[in-house]
Amino acid sequence: MDFPWKRAESELAREIAHHIHELTAEYVRQGYSPQEAARLAKREFGGYEQTKERCRDERSWAWLTGLRQDIVFGWRMMKRTPVVTMAAVLSLALAIGANTAILALMDVVLWRDLPVPNPQQLTNVNWRAHGFPKEIVNGGSGSMDREDGWEVADFFSYSGFQQMRQRLSGKASLAGFSFPDTVSVSFAGQASVAKQRSVSGNFLSTLQVRPELGRLLSDSDDAFAAQPAVVVSHRFWKSALGSSPSVVGRPIIIDNKPNTIAGVLDSRFAGLIPGDATDIYAPLHSSGLAQWFDNNRFWCIQLIARRMPGYAEIAMQPEIDAAFVSSWAAQPKKAADAPHILLSGGSRGLGFLSKNFRNPLLVLGGLVSFLLLIACINIANLLLSRAAAREKEVATRIALGCSRLRLARQFLTESVMLAVLGGFASTIVAYLTEGLLGQFLLFGHGESLPIHASLDLRVLGIVVATTTAALLLFGIFPSWRSSNLRNITGKGRQRWNSGRVLTLSQMAMSVVLVMCAVLFTRNLSAIQSGDPGFDRRNLILFDIRPGTSGYAKSKLQNFYFNLERQLAATPGVNNVGLCSIRPMNVGGWWEDLGLPGHNDIRGASINGVTPTYLSLYSGRLLAGRSIQWTDIVSGAKVALVSEDLAAKWGGNSVVGKRMTFTDGPPGQPKPEYEIIGIAPKIAPTSMKERPSAVWLPLDKESSGVTVAIRTSRTPAMVLPAVRKTLAGIDRNLPLVDVMTMEEQISQGLQRERMFATICSGFGILALVLSVVGLYGVIAYSTARRRGEIGIRMALGAMPKEVVTMIVREGMTVAVSGLLLGLPVIWFGSKYVEKELFQMKPLEPATILFSVGVLLAAALAAVMVPAWRASAIQPAQALRED
Amino acid sequence: MAHKRTDLIQGTLDLLILKTVAQGPIHGYGIAQRILVTSREILQVQQGSLYPALHRLQRKGLLKSEWKESGNGPMAKLYSLTPAGKKHFQEEMTQWQRYADAVALVLQS
Repeated sequence: MDFPWKRAESELAREIAHHIHELTAEYVRQGYSPQEAARLAKREFGGYEQTKERCRDERSWAWLTGLRQDIVFGWRMMKRTPVVTMAAVLSLALAIGANTAILALMDVVLWRDLPVPNPQQLTNVNWRAHGFPKEIVNGGSGSMDREDGWEVADFFSYSGFQQMRQRLSGKASLAGFSFPDTVSVSFAGQASVAKQRSVSGNFLSTLQVRPELGRLLSDSDDAFAAQPAVVVSHRFWKSALGSSPSVVGRPIIIDNKPNTIAGVLDSRFAGLIPGDATDIYAPLHSSGLAQWFDNNRFWCIQLIARRMPGYAEIAMQPEIDAAFVSSWAAQPKKAADAPHILLSGGSRGLGFLSKNFRNPLLVLGGLVSFLLLIACINIANLLLSRAAAREKEVATRIALGCSRLRLARQFLTESVMLAVLGGFASTIVAYLTEGLLGQFLLFGHGESLPIHASLDLRVLGIVVATTTAALLLFGIFPSWRSSNLRNITGKGRQRWNSGRVLTLSQMAMSVVLVMCAVLFTRNLSAIQSGDPGFDRRNLILFDIRPGTSGYAKSKLQNFYFNLERQLAATPGVNNVGLCSIRPMNVGGWWEDLGLPGHNDIRGASINGVTPTYLSLYSGRLLAGRSIQWTDIVSGAKVALVSEDLAAKWGGNSVVGKRMTFTDGPPGQPKPEYEIIGIAPKIAPTSMKERPSAVWLPLDKESSGVTVAIRTSRTPAMVLPAVRKTLAGIDRNLPLVDVMTMEEQISQGLQRERMFATICSGFGILALVLSVVGLYGVIAYSTARRRGEIGIRMALGAMPKEVVTMIVREGMTVAVSGLLLGLPVIWFGSKYVEKELFQMKPLEPATILFSVGVLLAAALAAVMVPAWRASAIQPAQALRED
Repeated sequence: MAHKRTDLIQGTLDLLILKTVAQGPIHGYGIAQRILVTSREILQVQQGSLYPALHRLQRKGLLKSEWKESGNGPMAKLYSLTPAGKKHFQEEMTQWQRYADAVALVLQS
């Protein structure tokens, strides 16, 4: 086929041949012999190839042909060293992929707006005060954080909510909601467990969520007299209701109460926060909170507002605050400490996720960008040394008239090709890492957020951006350098050439990554190897909820007694206990305790237990008597306290005294408990903290309990028998969250484990990349110095001295890099510290270990070329040059 | 040859080529020869600049070319002006004239 560039090539050749032909003819006319004339003509014409090349540059499609040539050439160069190319593409893919995954997660968690119309109109409503204002608040559900010396809380009384809503009417729509609860659901004969959030009637319409089927909830649903109706999420509709288009109007049983499905929400709306797992939205009045609505000291409702267009947050604040203050039943003693409304942008939904995960995401983001830099530097080094190996070729090309721009473009094309390949491969890496990283965002109860920033256009956009950035980083410098003939031919042996400077900075970044890996691994193992105060092996935990599966309250006491007795008689079971709060599940039931004549104790962990429960964990009580079934049956107000708690209150003398829960239900006398004994100290809620513990008799009407079983053999061997026993009691009662204590503990450490795993991965990758980089630079420079080394050895240098010389050279680069990395570590340590438990970021052991690992790896990388150099035969080396 | 040859002022090569081509279809060697002869062997066009310039003018659409037999020799690539080339040549010519006159005025004052 006659391609345009082929035709142009032949025409160009013919045109120039014609010129030379005419010149020759001219010389013949002047009387020269034909041979002499041809020689003179050629001499007069001058650079034949240069002229052709310059003509080629004038073609309008020159760049296109050039590009084709560059790509073909680049491909040939890459194929010549397939292993190196693969390694380069792989390291780039890993680095870009990890960056993309972290960026995508940051996007979801920190930056993305709620998928509702005009999210910028949404405002989160909180209040802040100095200290907890006990005179007016006796909080129910909600969360409270310390921020800049203020207590910031998100819970309000129902009457306060109503008054604020009325005050704002016409200017903003104020909606209330509660924390999601776990409920038992039965639909069309199928039982399942779901997350239910109770919301005010105007909640969904305030957010302006679209119903996909049926309708939203309205204010008329949110009343005591209303027909019970719920709206379900799209996800729940698909997973539990079989995507049936006819669900609207059908009955659904929630916690044994009949409800009607009023609608199904838009598939894009995933809740108030990224990964909100809410399945069912029910009216506030149908929730358990409704009993507190007329008590305006019981604050349990969270708020979000949508401002009308033109109504700014700054105008809203004084109005809503006035309504808030006037809604209190009492005034605080000190007006300066009183709560006031604090508004914050709600376009991204509730802020706590970004508050909790900003720091870890920033730390990880910083680490992956270092990783990308390290990978880029390796590739820049690779391209530089490849270019140096092509010195002669480059010189020839320049001599033949190749323009510098053209040459630079060729080198750049090669890096673009690497980047494109790396970018493609990175989407796979991003997809894989993201699933992994998604798990690391966890709620306290060990449920992972169903966050998946699927590979949509935004993520692909991020890949393109990252790839471009990487390309600029590692492509431009080598291509500029290699295309510069002066740089190539006039290069003496420089002590700090660009390759070394790049390797040095690579080392500096690696030391940061390796140190993070060591740090987080040590952190995890320190927590894991901590002593919880009991033997964590051979313990089985599961939940059981007879109270929401049709058992009457009066029957529960017998059921639990019977359950414990029958389980204890099961083969392989040593001991059984029941409790109301699942152990080692991070969250729990907390109370402040008071004893006359002693200081209050804040934040003790409370649990209701059966008599045998504590003996699962530890031996005898230290003093007093244990809880009896008669205590449970009679609802006795007695309590066991932990050893450390008793010590604070005067040791064994505490037995027999009466302590109080200082924050009891509002408007009622504070609950009082007689201390009947002292229990050994164990970790009740998590490996990360050791709060004081109080053990009460189990509430005999508790709708569900956690069963803990101490087995005589491995739990897996005993579990079938346990299931059989339970099936014998009630075949329809599901066992929820069955796991061993070891699994329960490690679930509570998922965040630490993810950090340790991710950072170790990054650290190892960084170590490998930078060691390869160092090896490459030193091996290359020794190869170029063969002649010099040959002379040294011919003049009497011993092989040992050659080794020392090269090792010293390589280690200078490595050590300077390490030193350069130390300020970065010092600066970054304050961000890392928040993620650590009981451990300082800059411990000598951590620093020594990381630096030691790096130095050992660097030494190994340098030794190989050093040995090779010491084996040089002087005569041979000298002959080569 | 004892003639003193002058290097071309940047940008004048295009004008000289256009002028030479305006007199009728001509090949590259002919252009160089004619400029040399007409300038009384003062202006010598380097082939290294001539051909890239020809190709550039052709890409800009000022010149067109065709392969023809020229005299007794082999096929040659003959250049001629396009209508756009003629117009451009006129403009450049006027500009150059004004420029040269101005320089002459200053030098002779």
